[in-house]
Amino acid sequence: MGKIWLVLRHEIRTTLGSKSFLFLTFGLPALFSLVFLAVTALSRGASGIPGGAGGAGDPSRLQVEGYVDQSGLVKAIPTSVPRDILVPYPDEAAAREALRAGEVAAYYVIAADYVASGDLLYVNPKYNFATSRGQSWVMRQTLFANLLGNDAERIARAARPMDVKVTALSPAQDTRDEDNPATFFVPYISMMLLYVVILMAASLLLNSVATEKKNRVMEILLSSVSPRQMLTGKIVGLGLLGLLQTAIWMGTGYTFLLLGGQTLQLPAGFTLPPSILIWGFVFFLLGYAVYASLMAGLGALVPNLREASQAVILVIWPLIIPLMLSSILIEKPHDPLATVLSIFPLTAPIAMITRLAAGGVPWWQPLLAVGLLVITALIIIRAVANTFRAQTLLSGQPFTVGRYWAALLGRG
Amino acid sequence: MQTVEVSHIVKSFGTTQAVADVSFSIERGEIFGLLGPNGAGKTTTIRIMLDIFKPDQGTVSILGGPLTEDKKERIGYMPEERGLYQDIPLERCLLYLASLKGLSPAEARQRLKGYLERFDLAQHKNKKVKELSKGMQQKAQLISTILHGPELIIVDEPFAALDPINVQLVKDLMRELRIQGTTIIMSTHQMHQVEELCDRIVLINKGRNLLYGALNDIRRRYASHAVVVRADGELPPVAGVAEVVPHNGDVKLVLREETTPQDVLRALVAQGAPVERFEIAMPTLDEIFIRAVGEGGA
Repeated sequence: MGKIWLVLRHEIRTTLGSKSFLFLTFGLPALFSLVFLAVTALSRGASGIPGGAGGAGDPSRLQVEGYVDQSGLVKAIPTSVPRDILVPYPDEAAAREALRAGEVAAYYVIAADYVASGDLLYVNPKYNFATSRGQSWVMRQTLFANLLGNDAERIARAARPMDVKVTALSPAQDTRDEDNPATFFVPYISMMLLYVVILMAASLLLNSVATEKKNRVMEILLSSVSPRQMLTGKIVGLGLLGLLQTAIWMGTGYTFLLLGGQTLQLPAGFTLPPSILIWGFVFFLLGYAVYASLMAGLGALVPNLREASQAVILVIWPLIIPLMLSSILIEKPHDPLATVLSIFPLTAPIAMITRLAAGGVPWWQPLLAVGLLVITALIIIRAVANTFRAQTLLSGQPFTVGRYWAALLGRG
Repeated sequence: MQTVEVSHIVKSFGTTQAVADVSFSIERGEIFGLLGPNGAGKTTTIRIMLDIFKPDQGTVSILGGPLTEDKKERIGYMPEERGLYQDIPLERCLLYLASLKGLSPAEARQRLKGYLERFDLAQHKNKKVKELSKGMQQKAQLISTILHGPELIIVDEPFAALDPINVQLVKDLMRELRIQGTTIIMSTHQMHQVEELCDRIVLINKGRNLLYGALNDIRRRYASHAVVVRADGELPPVAGVAEVVPHNGDVKLVLREETTPQDVLRALVAQGAPVERFEIAMPTLDEIFIRAVGEGGA
C-alpha cells in the first residue's frame, strides 16, 4: 500500500506540474471564461441597461417595459410576471415619451385586432437578439393569461393539456416523452461527457507510461516496485486527476450558464433521477479502469509517444461504437442491440449511461453490466501488469497489434 | 551465507535462447564481475536475478531465498540503459526513487545532501535532469543506486560516460562499499577495471558459463610457461629458455617444458645478472577474455 501511495503521489505531483495538463485543466476553462465574459460585457454594453440579458430564471435582471393595449385584451398582469415590470400606457405617444424619458427600456403595442391578427409591435431603440429574447416570455405569459380570461385553472390546464398516466406492462416499456427535447439531449450529453472524461483520463495514463519508457526509467522502477503496485498507483492517481479535470470543466460550464442567466432549464415534467449521478460515477470509474489499463499496456509496448498516439485507436474503438450507434441507444434504448451494447463490458460504460439517462432500464441490467465490468477490469489490470513485467524491457521494437494482444494474453 | 546463488538458469524469448545454462554464486562483501561479449546473456541474467524476467528453468536465490518485494529495498540496480525522470528537478527525482526503496524522506534528504556534494552535483540539484550533462546524469544514476544503502548492488557498465576523475571517484566508492560489507556485481567490458576491482568473475558466452572463479586463479590458469624479467643491462643466456621476447620494455623468457621459473631465477642470480623485477608472466584479462571466447566459440 505504501508504494502504491508513493507512485500515486508522484503521478499527481508530476502531472500537476505539467504545463499541458495545467492548460487543459485550468487554462482552457479560464480562456473560455474570459471570452465569455468579454462577449457578455459587449452584449450588455449594446443593451445599455444593467442586467439587460436577464432571463426567465432571474426576475431581478428584467427591465421595465411599457405596453399600449389597443385591443383591450389585457385586464390583469399574471402573478407569474414580477410586479411593475410591465407598465400600461394609454396610447403610443405616452409610451414613446416614457421611453424617451428612460422610464421604460422598450414598449409593446398590442394591435386593436390582435386576437384575430396576432399583430404586436415591439419598440426597442437598442434592440438586439441577445437582449430581447430573454424577456419575451413576460409579454407572452401576459397575453396567454388574458386570452384565457385570467382563469388560473384554465391557464394551468392549457400549459399541460394532457396529463397522461402510462402504466408499464413490462419493465422495458418505453415511458418517454418523444416530443421533449431533453429526451434526446440529456442521454446524448451524458454519453459524450462520459466518453470525453474516460478518454481524457485514460490518455493521462498512456502519456505517463510512454514518458517513463522514453526516459528509460521503467527498468529502475520495476526493480523497486511490483508492476501491479505501479499500475494501481498510476490508475488511481491519474483517475483522481481526471475527476478533478472533469469537475473543473463541468463547474466552469455550469458557471457560464449561471452567469448567462440561463440555468439548466429542463422542460416541466422532466426529471433526471439522482441515481444517474451515482451510476455515472460508477461507470466512469470502471470504464476508466478498463481503458486506462489498456492504454497503460499500450504505453508499455510502444517505443515512443508518437507511435502511442497512432496506436490509441486500437484500444478505444469499442468506446466509439456507442457513439456511432447513439441514435439507437437514445431513440430505441430497449432495442436488443442497445441492451447488448450496454451490457458488453467494453461498450457498457458509455452505452449504459446513455440508456440510463434515457430512462426505463430494468434494474438488473446496470447491475449485470457493473458486475461484468468489474471482472473485465480485474482481468485487464492483471494482463497489463504482466505486460509491464515482460515487455517494457524490450523497448525499441516496433509496435504491432499482434504483439499487443500477445502481451495481454501473457505470450509476450 | 551466499548473497546470490544462480543455479542453471535458462531463458528463451521465442526461438532465441538468451541464457542456456548459467550458474554462479557470490559471497557477501565481494566485488563480482559478470563478464561476456555483447549478446552473451549478461543483461538477461541480471533481469532474471531481479525477478524482472522469470527463468524457464533453474533457480535464483538472492539474500537468502527467492526475491520478494521487501528484498527489492535491499538491492540497488543501475541498468545499462540509464534512466531518470527528465522533466523534474534532480533532487526530486532522486528522492522519489529513494522513497520507492523504503527510505524515509528525512533520511533520504540527509544522505542525498552528502552524495550530491561528494559527486559535485549539489549546485545542480534544482535543475531538471534533462539540463544535466551525460556524465552528471551518470553520477546521479549511481547516487540513486546506492542512496538507500543496499546490501547488494548490481551495476551495468558503471564507468561509461565518466571522465578519469569520476572513474576514480566511482572506484573509490566501490571499494569503500566493499569494506562496509556491500556485495557488488559489476558488468562491464572494461577489463582493466575488472582486474583492478573484482575478486571473482564469471565469463559467459552464448548464454553459458565459460570461466568462473577467483580472478587470480583464472589468470594463473591461463598463464603461459614464461617469466617476465626487468634488468639493468643485458641478460646473460640462461639454460632451459626456449625463446626471449621483448615485453613492454622488459624481457619475456618463454621456458622449455622441463624448466621451472625457479630454475631460471637461480641461474640468473648465480650469473650475477642485475635483476630488478622477476615475475611469472600472467595474461591480462583482455587476453584471457579474447582467448576464452575464441576457444568457446570455436
